[in-house]
This record gives sequence, structure tokens and C-alpha cells, in this order.
Amino acid sequence: MLKEYDVIIIGGGITGAATLRDCALRGLSCLLIERGDICDGASGRNHGLLHSGARYAVTDREGAEECIRENRILRKIASNCVEQTEGLFISLPEDGLDYQAIFIQKCHEAGIDAQAIDPVEALRLEPAINPRIIGAVKVPDAAVDPFRLVDAHILDARRHGADILKFTAVASLVKENGRVVGVRTSKGDAIRGRVVVLAAGIWTAGLAREAGVNIGMMPSKGSLIIFGHRVANHVINRCRKPANADILVPGDVVSVLGTTSDKVPIETCDDMHATPQEVELLLREGEQLVPSLAHTRIIRAYAGVRPLVVADPAGDGRNVSRGIVLLDHETRDGVPGLITITGGKLTTARLMAEMATDLVCEKLGLTARCETATRCLPGSEGRKPQFMDPFNIRAAIGRHGEEVSRMDFDNGGEIVCECEQVTRAEIAYAVREFGVRNVSDLRRHTRIGMGTCQGSFCIKKVAKVLAGELGVDPEGLVLDYLQERWKGMTPVLWGDTLREAEYMLKVNRNEI
Amino acid sequence: MKFDVVIIGGGWAGRTAAGRLAGAGLRVCIVSEGLSLAVVHDKAPYSCLADLQNKGVTVLRGDRAVEGIIAGDRVSAVLTRNLGKEMPLEADTFILATGKFFSRGLLSDMTHIWEPVFGADVAYDADRTKWADPEFSFHQPFMDFGVRTDKAGHVLVSGRPVMNLYAAGEILAAGSKEFDTDSFIEEYEHRIG
Repeated sequence: MLKEYDVIIIGGGITGAATLRDCALRGLSCLLIERGDICDGASGRNHGLLHSGARYAVTDREGAEECIRENRILRKIASNCVEQTEGLFISLPEDGLDYQAIFIQKCHEAGIDAQAIDPVEALRLEPAINPRIIGAVKVPDAAVDPFRLVDAHILDARRHGADILKFTAVASLVKENGRVVGVRTSKGDAIRGRVVVLAAGIWTAGLAREAGVNIGMMPSKGSLIIFGHRVANHVINRCRKPANADILVPGDVVSVLGTTSDKVPIETCDDMHATPQEVELLLREGEQLVPSLAHTRIIRAYAGVRPLVVADPAGDGRNVSRGIVLLDHETRDGVPGLITITGGKLTTARLMAEMATDLVCEKLGLTARCETATRCLPGSEGRKPQFMDPFNIRAAIGRHGEEVSRMDFDNGGEIVCECEQVTRAEIAYAVREFGVRNVSDLRRHTRIGMGTCQGSFCIKKVAKVLAGELGVDPEGLVLDYLQERWKGMTPVLWGDTLREAEYMLKVNRNEI
Repeated sequence: MKFDVVIIGGGWAGRTAAGRLAGAGLRVCIVSEGLSLAVVHDKAPYSCLADLQNKGVTVLRGDRAVEGIIAGDRVSAVLTRNLGKEMPLEADTFILATGKFFSRGLLSDMTHIWEPVFGADVAYDADRTKWADPEFSFHQPFMDFGVRTDKAGHVLVSGRPVMNLYAAGEILAAGSKEFDTDSFIEEYEHRIG
């Protein structure tokens, strides 16, 4: 007899992880089910941008207000995941300055601190931006590491009693007398839950259909490019009506340019990759922000899917904002026991979780209060770990904050991944805390192989160490990982990326 | 400076040719910018640069050929970064052995692939989306790209063979003809009697 939970959450992205944490902190027994690894979907395939809300100030006041509120909260509770870069919205001659005036006014109305600065001052702050600028506005945008943010939520949820079932797909929702009472996994197990929360991003619609509920979702593909250098220290935006490829975000030592925005068929969402055409568009536009991007080495290109919800025909779907969509399927569709939380943004995921958990509590007749706006996440609690701070641990402290106290550097201090300075101790920690199947999973929890060499140099070492931890064949781990990296390199395969491709191929296929 | 043979590229292909040609008594110069992939990974056989020097090869370490001067159907000289225009490298025969992309024997941008020293004809697919196979472990088309030669191994520039320019090693396109060291030495020995 399997355990019965108060809540079962489907989907291991930021929305599911944040909801799991909120439920656990409120004392609910809860389970998260994810078909792949944590952060496998859109949560691991985005800009890593902590919006100030400025981008939405003109078109979506409510969304902008949500963003700036959550932006301030995440800077406190997830300080170790956020880099307080600040952002610039730059105007080029073809943009004019009319939009800038409206933009600043709308930002102020939404409570966002937007300040026009002199173009000369902007170029002093960021020498790489387009020298043709005629105006610039400073806003409190920031960079956020989405992998780290999701992991921190997962860790905290588990430390408050939540269960996590990864690499397990939900085959169907179990219904009794019209009520959703749990889920059946692809392995055939039935797990009972008093409330089931769908938080599976674009995959939510398919799961809901299983329960006879129709959610009109529109998959919107966004492609991005990672450059091998940090060309600017601020988030750089174009000060115009939001368009393609007009945001450049610094992240660690790289820069991420995006995004495109295209409707795609839902069947394609399981295999997302950037196309050469999208890459050309991104580069053409990106060069307007920062001209040197034309010559900056590209590491890879990737794509994610935004889970946009089309206007709710029933009109009673608790569609509280144009971004966040919380659906109570009991009132909306006559299917009790089922809730959907979707739409929204990485920046507003905590709020989405709060809204979903409030509804869960209402369904269960509980009154526990939400604490997630003030309680710091693991790694961001501000207790600086006491180390002599040798260089091989510095990167780990940066990634994991005080979580490094759970890593045994005395018996695994040697560096395995040179680019990201990942030690054997950190690998062992990731295997222990998150459970990984392969190097791609390990990458999400440690940044292994995400650096400038994309694993070309270290993959065999990494595979050997991981294979030792997992008791599997290292050769399979190597090929599996390189295939994953290859997918991101092929759309940008020219210049220095082609040079690296030849190297990766020869060294790892033993073709020299 | 005048040599019998100038070899551009100090990877395994260039070093191997240099060692054999010098051993046969030819005056050889090799321009070696840095370590190549194969040399780093200890592909045998190759000679280390000191061995080549002991055999009488002039080794230009850390130098790079920047321009080949073609007059009619022959290369008259090669200019290097360090020696410049004042000291062109002259020779009867030139061998291009600069490797593929990693070693910058071939350069590329979003639409083109070119050979930077002589502007030699490069065989590649005009459609960039066909440069790579999506499966990492499959044969990768870009590894077949490289300079074209005629049947005798003369490198083609603007469609015409350059009669004293050959290519060796990775820079060759699939189906092109590699510089034939054996025949070259045989012909040389025959000529000097």
C-alpha cells in the first residue's frame, strides 16, 4: 500500500519546486513527480533573467508589479542564486526617445526604480554597448541562476519532509466518482493524493486532458545563444516595444542573448533545439545591442518553451493576471481534487507557488500561512562557511553557499571539471542530494561541462568519477553527454565553435 | 632565404614530410606556429622540432605564414608574420600542411570557409546546415572539407593548379591528392643523379 499524500505536484521545474517547498513549509505531506530530471524543461532553458518588471511596464502593469515585488523578495531569500547586476534599457537612433519617456513613466507607476542616465555615462558603465545610443535607463534587473534556484527549493522542501520522485512519468490521473484522487505512474504504481497540482509547464495540457479537462495552451518557443565571454556586466535591453533578441544577460563568465518567440506545434516540445535561422536572427539583432557579439565566440544555442495559456473561454478560471494562470478545476470543470498552476515567469514562480498553495490549503480546509517570502533558501542563509578558502573550493561556495559544509573536500578536493572548477566532492554531493543518472543531470546541479570547453577536455574524467559513484559503464556516459552538447553546437558551427567541434570530435572519438 | 622546400605547418603531416625530405638531402624550412592536436596527443610517427633541426631543417618556431605570393602558375614566395616582407621565404616547392579548423588551416564564418595563406580552393557545402550531422557519433561532413588539388596533387587556386604547391595532412579535402613524399624524393634523387 503506497502512501497517501495531502498534495501531489506534477512537474519538477521552478513552479513545481516552489509549490512543493511552500506546501512542505506549511506542514502538508507532499510529493513531487518529475518524468526527467529537475530543471529539464523551460526552467533550465531560459535567459536566467530576474526581471525588474521594466520590460512589461508599458504593456502589462500587473505583470510588472508582480515582477518587481518578487525581484525584491528573491534578492533576499535566494541571494546565492541572484547576481545583482542591474539592467540598462538602451535607445538607438531608430528607436527614438518617445518610447523611453513613456517607459520611465510606466515603470514609476508600477513601482520600478527607473532612472534615465546620460548616454556617455551608460557607455562608461558598459563600454561594449552600441556607441550609437541616444539614451539609456537604469533599472533593477538582475541575473539569476535557474538551476541553483530550483535546486535550492528542492533541498528545502525535502528537508521539510517533502518526497521527490524523479525519472518517473505520470501515465494518468486516477479518478474516483469524478474526483481526482491521485496519479498512476508509468511504472504502474498508483499514488493517492488529496489534491493534485499540475505544474508541468507546456506538458500540463496533455496531463489535464487525461482527466477530461481542457486547457488551451500555446507553446511559444524561445531560442537563445550563449557567448563564451561576459561582454557586459549589466542586463542589456532595448528600450522599445518588446521584440526578438533584445536582451543580453550576463551569467557567471558568459553572456546569454535571446530570445526568439514563435508558436510551435505541441508535439515538438519534447525535442527543442535552436535552428540556424533563429541563430542568424538572434545575431543580427544582438549586434545592435553589443556590436562585438559579431566576433565573440559562441558556445552553443538552445531553446525552451513558454507555457502560454490562451484566454480562458469559461472566464472563471481565476485568471488573476495576464501572466500567472491558476485554475481550480472543481469550479471551472467540475473535477474536484485537481489544480493547475502555469503561465508566469521564472521571476514570479514563488508567487505562483504561494497562490497554488493557498488554493490547496483552502481545498483541504487549512489555514497555514505562507512563509516563503521571508524564509531564506538553503545556500542563501548568509552563514558564511568557515574555510581557509583555497581556490578549488571558491567556485563551489559561489554555487552552493553554506551547502558546501555538506561536501567532503578532504576526501575529494581535486578538480574534475577545470572550466567550472568542480571537485570530486561536489560531484559526490550532487549524486547524494539530487540523484543523477548521467552527466547531463550532473551538469544541472554542478555546472559541470557547462563552461568554455563544453566538456571536451574533462568529459572522460567526469564520466569515470560519476560511473564510480553510480556503478555504470563510463563510455556510455561520455557519448550520451557529448551528443547533448553537440545538439547545442551544430546550429552555431562556424568560426571558433567549429574549431572546438573538431577538437571535441577528435579527442573524444579517438580519431587522432 | 631560398630553400628547396618550404613546409607551412608544424603538425604531424608537416613534420613527417620535413624529416624525410631533409633526410634525402633537401634544404627544408618548416613554419611551425605551435602545437597541433595530433602532436599534443602524441600521434606517431612525428619528429620533434629539435630532431628536425639536427637534420638541418630550418625551423621557424612560433611563426605563421600570412601570405603566399603566386606569380603565374607558381608560388614564388611565402611571407611570415615574424619575417615580414623583408625576408620572403623562397623555394622550388611549397607544401601546405596547416591542418583543418582547430589549427586555423581553414577559417570559417557563418557562410564561407576559406584557406587564408594562398586563398586555395576549398571544397565545402554551400548550405551551412549540412556542415554537421546531428548525431555526434556519425561521420561529420565538415571533416571532409578542405583544399582541392588536381590529380597530380597540385593545389587549386581559382580553379587552376599551382604547379609547385602541394598539400599534406588534414587540410586536404576528401578525394584530393596528398603530397607524395616517396615519389618526390625519387624524382629528386633521379634529377641530381
